[in-house]
Amino acid sequence: MNASTAATSRRALLKATVAAGAVIAAPAYLTRATAATPIKIGIPTVITGGYAILGQQTIRTCKLVAKLKNAGKGVLGRPVEFLYQDTQGDPANCVRKCQELVERDDCRIFTGVIVSSEAAAIMPKLEEWNAFFISHGNGDGRLTAELFVPRFFRANTSAPMGARTVALYLRDAPQKTFVAVASDYSWGQSSVKAFEEQTKKIDKQLVDKIFTPVANKDYSTYITKVLQSKAEGCYIALQGDEARAFYSQAAQYGLAERVQFFTEIVAQSDIKVLGKDALGLIGSSRYPFTYDIPRNKEFVAAFTEEYKNQIPDWTDGEIYQALTILFAAIEKADSTEPMKIIAAMEDLDVTSVKGPVLMRKCDHQGENQGFVVKVAQNAKYGEPIPEIVKIYPREVTTPDCRSSSYST
Amino acid sequence: MDFLGFAATQCLNALSQASVLFFIACGLTLIFGIMRVINFAHGVIFMLGAYVGYTASAVSGSFLLSLVVAPIVVGIVGMVFERVFLHRLYRRRDPGAYLMVTFGLAVVVSEAIRLIWGTQPLGTGIPDFLRGIVLVLGQPFPLYRLFLIALGISAAVAIWQFLDRTRAGLLIRAVSQNAEMVQALGTDIDLVRTGVFGFGCALAALGGALAAPLVTAFLGMGTTVVIDAFVVVIVGGMGSFLGSIIGSVLIAFVQVVGAYYFQELALAFMYLLMLAVLVVRPGGLLGKEE
Amino acid sequence: MNWKHGFIGAALLCALLPFALPQYMLTIVVEALIFGLLAMSLDLMVGYCRLYSFGHAAAYGLGAYACGMLLKHFALPLPIGILLAVAITVVIAIPIAWICTRSTGVSFAMLTLAFAQLGYAMLYRFKEITGGSDGIDGIPRPPGPFNIAWFESKLGYYYLVLFCLLGSYLLCRAIVRSPFGTVLAAIRENEVKARSLGYNTRRYKLATVVLAYGFGALAGALYAPFAGFASPELFFWLTSGRVLIMVVVGGAGTLVGPILGGGAFLILENELSQLTDSWPLIFGTIFIAFVMFAPQGIWGLITGRFGRSAIAASAARTEEAPDAAA
Repeated sequence: MNASTAATSRRALLKATVAAGAVIAAPAYLTRATAATPIKIGIPTVITGGYAILGQQTIRTCKLVAKLKNAGKGVLGRPVEFLYQDTQGDPANCVRKCQELVERDDCRIFTGVIVSSEAAAIMPKLEEWNAFFISHGNGDGRLTAELFVPRFFRANTSAPMGARTVALYLRDAPQKTFVAVASDYSWGQSSVKAFEEQTKKIDKQLVDKIFTPVANKDYSTYITKVLQSKAEGCYIALQGDEARAFYSQAAQYGLAERVQFFTEIVAQSDIKVLGKDALGLIGSSRYPFTYDIPRNKEFVAAFTEEYKNQIPDWTDGEIYQALTILFAAIEKADSTEPMKIIAAMEDLDVTSVKGPVLMRKCDHQGENQGFVVKVAQNAKYGEPIPEIVKIYPREVTTPDCRSSSYST
Repeated sequence: MDFLGFAATQCLNALSQASVLFFIACGLTLIFGIMRVINFAHGVIFMLGAYVGYTASAVSGSFLLSLVVAPIVVGIVGMVFERVFLHRLYRRRDPGAYLMVTFGLAVVVSEAIRLIWGTQPLGTGIPDFLRGIVLVLGQPFPLYRLFLIALGISAAVAIWQFLDRTRAGLLIRAVSQNAEMVQALGTDIDLVRTGVFGFGCALAALGGALAAPLVTAFLGMGTTVVIDAFVVVIVGGMGSFLGSIIGSVLIAFVQVVGAYYFQELALAFMYLLMLAVLVVRPGGLLGKEE
Repeated sequence: MNWKHGFIGAALLCALLPFALPQYMLTIVVEALIFGLLAMSLDLMVGYCRLYSFGHAAAYGLGAYACGMLLKHFALPLPIGILLAVAITVVIAIPIAWICTRSTGVSFAMLTLAFAQLGYAMLYRFKEITGGSDGIDGIPRPPGPFNIAWFESKLGYYYLVLFCLLGSYLLCRAIVRSPFGTVLAAIRENEVKARSLGYNTRRYKLATVVLAYGFGALAGALYAPFAGFASPELFFWLTSGRVLIMVVVGGAGTLVGPILGGGAFLILENELSQLTDSWPLIFGTIFIAFVMFAPQGIWGLITGRFGRSAIAASAARTEEAPDAAA
């Protein structure tokens, strides 16, 4: 039962509850759960539709985590159960599916949301649902700034953090002038804004900003524009379909020979398709699977054991990290009650597959290290892979509190 | 960058976009001629073409061969669909029925693609002989796009000759103008309809296979392209073949100019043009008002 | 069975429905009613004027965005916000309808599509106001009039939506059965004849389009505070396509049918996706099967069972249809 509604129209709700809802809504977390009751984690993700690849990656790692956890001691001695729902990437569906997860399945913990606008749509509802949501992939800087709500945490690297990492790297790069190409939606705008701020600080010049329409297919005009700007570097905030279209078309124009690409996000599923067209690309990576620490090697080994011939993408790493943090908070709180998890998660310091992460208290943004990678061919793999060229400490990559900007 | 070189590359950019658009829009307009309604599934058919093309090229190792296989396979799928479902609906003369049955087809086919090829996007690389760069007035321009332009022009000429000079072409034009009359004259118009539907699907599939090296094959690749093709068909004139050529070129140029000079309005530009055309000529540039 | 008995029975049934359903179903049922209302509004154009609008998302989106902005920035009471949103949409709809009704058939469909897509593009152009790709979030759902904490609860909101739907149905029914509706029927069957009888057919069509936009906006305005946000997807052509399918699957020209069609479409989609990942296969097949085996739509199936005459009348109408989309 959601708290605010119950307070305001108890009588109406009481009837409804007695009639039908009681059996479903009352149990688990009001009465103390028994050891065997699974911990339910809602995954309202994209199963069908344009973003299905990101949803599929999210689900495969959740399945792996469930398998590993439930083969061992579980969490708090209880098994974990993931409830997958198909939102098709539409905020309207996402809100509805989450509402059903709350009311039908009494599930109060969410992660696995793909699109930033979906996240923004469910965040104001969390209070009413008495629920808790930890992001594994939503990049829009505003989620932990203007749109901040106490029941939301972001475990992943955000768009401003990715932009910042690239900018830090550019400080020592030979290129002086840049042009930015970004998708005209919140993530792309947020990324370019952060990048522009950074370039000013490091005394580089952003000569042009190009925002391409959402789901744009032909980049020839924009490529001509980049060539015309005579910039030495090109900052790219495109993702998925848009990124693949841009890189394959840019390769056909030989753009990469004239301009060095720097991208805010490097995705394995894209470079796998692009093949040699992706070689030489430099960018920040939310999670490079080549990161050489024991915790990550363990994950990559388990992953490749489960999914033969597949390489974990950034989504896999980020959902794994989000779940690691979530489970650590649940263990620390010794409870699955949302408010207690939140209390336990604030200022929680965890080492995950991406190294040390601090879930800072002031805006619930996870302080992640910043990875800069270069796409290269490696004899061990059939497809190009990101090789780490530089790692920036989490203190310098994370923005000011409740902001997308950096004061230093 | 000197202006001439710049202008030349932008024109070529627009023409290469027009080529891909033409393949989709031409199929759409021919199908409209026989169905009198928009084929909701056209974008999905375009996507199917890209996926079939990917497999054909992966199996045979030849990109050019995949450009032949994809249209044939998808054309057959289209003809089967027409025979089994659409065929029984003509008598009803209910545009809602076509709309719903093609909607059903779109939903089913896109899920089938997800089941068969998975969610991982697929890349059809371009063969080496099409990979190079040509200098146009000092500006680099991809050979592949020149290939697209050449293919688009030859297809347009071939289809035009076919519609204009052959008996089959005459029949198609006749059916799209007055199906009852043609039937009354004793011609088997069912065969014409099946053929045209299959042909329209094959053209869209060819467009998909050609677009794959530009955008890679992925789920949902048809959703926005098909709306551009709608606009092309409307601007050019519903059911008009020549209109689909003019419409493709016009829309491609509007997109290029819009993207270059009016970034913020790029999305709106195309629709403004379409409104303007429809207000002045409700049937489209070359269509007649029905 | 008299239609009044039927109506009262259905209203009572709907009023009692929340008590028979599990709590969690209430969300989807509210949305089903909203989509029912949206589909019914489109039916005014499709079923009564044979104007196949391919841009009804514009009405829905305008209503939702207008209502969302009014509630968010001006803290208006809910009913006022909703009514104002409808009024705003109606005002915007007048020039749109004026331009669109110059054409018929496919041209009409495409003009409406162009306006809806133009609206979609404008959302990105004026992102300072509309929120761009994010849309408007955090739309409040203020309590009912006199501070009765009604609409805040889902059950209360269900009754609000139900009230609007039933009220709109009665209004639309009255309209299509009024002398105005009779003229519409005449235009639908033979526009040339209607014109030669001295009717200014375009004015009638224009009025119908504006009405349809108004009721569509009501659906959007009800949706925004319920979901708490409005996003550009509401304006996208896929939404328009879906609503049109809802009308057809329900049975165009019956008002009741599209309401059922809208509800069934949404609930089916939602529930099927719980069953299997490959739900679109079943979903699509159902639509194909419907076209093939139930040409009169859901309402046709129902009345076919209970009253042969209705289906015969409706079948006769389709038979006569001259190249309708053309």
